[in-house]
Amino acid sequence: MRLLLRVLAPLLGLVLTVVGLAIVVETVTLWVAPASSPLVVPWPAWQAAAEGLTWQSGAVRGTAIVVGVVGLFVLVLGLVARRHDVYLADPVPEVTVTTSPRSLARAVGHEVRSHSDVVSASVVASAKKITVKASTLDPAEAVRDDVRARVDEMLARLPLARRPRVSVSVTTTQGVK
Amino acid sequence: MSRRSRAAVARSAGGDRTLTTVLGLVLVAAAVLALLVGAGVFGSFRAQRPLIDPIAVQWATDHNDATRWIALGIGLVLFVVGLWWTLRSLRPEPRPDVSLSEVPGERLTVEHAAICDAVRHDAETIEGVSRARVRLVGTPMRPALRISLSMVEGSDVRDVWAELDGRVLARAREAFSVSALPTAVRLELDASSAPTPARVE
Repeated sequence: MRLLLRVLAPLLGLVLTVVGLAIVVETVTLWVAPASSPLVVPWPAWQAAAEGLTWQSGAVRGTAIVVGVVGLFVLVLGLVARRHDVYLADPVPEVTVTTSPRSLARAVGHEVRSHSDVVSASVVASAKKITVKASTLDPAEAVRDDVRARVDEMLARLPLARRPRVSVSVTTTQGVK
Repeated sequence: MSRRSRAAVARSAGGDRTLTTVLGLVLVAAAVLALLVGAGVFGSFRAQRPLIDPIAVQWATDHNDATRWIALGIGLVLFVVGLWWTLRSLRPEPRPDVSLSEVPGERLTVEHAAICDAVRHDAETIEGVSRARVRLVGTPMRPALRISLSMVEGSDVRDVWAELDGRVLARAREAFSVSALPTAVRLELDASSAPTPARVE
């Protein structure tokens, strides 16, 4: 979402610039040289097309819905494009240490997969929550406790600013051991 | 965590986010208002009135000059805001050179690249760090360091910190002759399974 904002923000700015410039140019043309109006934007044609439309017309409602949907998308984009950094405790006052959720998930994943009974594992991490899904050939119960203990121990070594909640689910899969 | 070290973590997207949110709100509000008028919330008579309202047209004809000035004003505001926004979000994040002395005749500036190379070389010698990227952010008078470290699998974060602060940052602070240098460190945990071989210069 941040990348999308990075791309769309200058484009939206450009759209505003162009609309503003068009209004200024057309107004000045109409004022100074009415004979050559409209200069670029065919606004009299638009005016003629809008003639006879009421607020109840389908075209007006359709346009309003399209504008509303675009506006909602832009609004949501602005609201959700925040950073998802995972903060670590500060070693000294003038230093801020962060890591990415992806890198935290990778570290937890390595730890989980190093367990000899785990066949495969997937990890999703954020600053608040780490979700581990692992599969094993052995009974799930014992492996789950082992995996949880490993993850807890690993998080204890990693000085995170706030300890995320850990949820571990282990399933037993069929296969040749 | 100080305000300046926190600001150095990444380029702020605050301005872009605010402007995008405001634009979205305006569009949504306009659309909702138009739909409400059409649905007859403000009276069924108003819902049946033409989009290009004769009363408004009459007013615009009567006050021709005022209408034109208003249109010009709206156009100019949109143009200026749009241009400012576009340039602002396209401008690259500055890489400041650091000025150590502003005394006339003794002005001393250190180039961005020189500082970053020195700190990067230092950081890459830390045990457990396979790769480092360093840049300065902020202004020449108030610079801050942004360091991103790729860590070898299994290396202890606390050891890396201790060495980073005790040796690398201490040297940088000494070089700038400041007591505190705001720094944002970004760790890539378990980025590689083995230390990369020493860089060949």
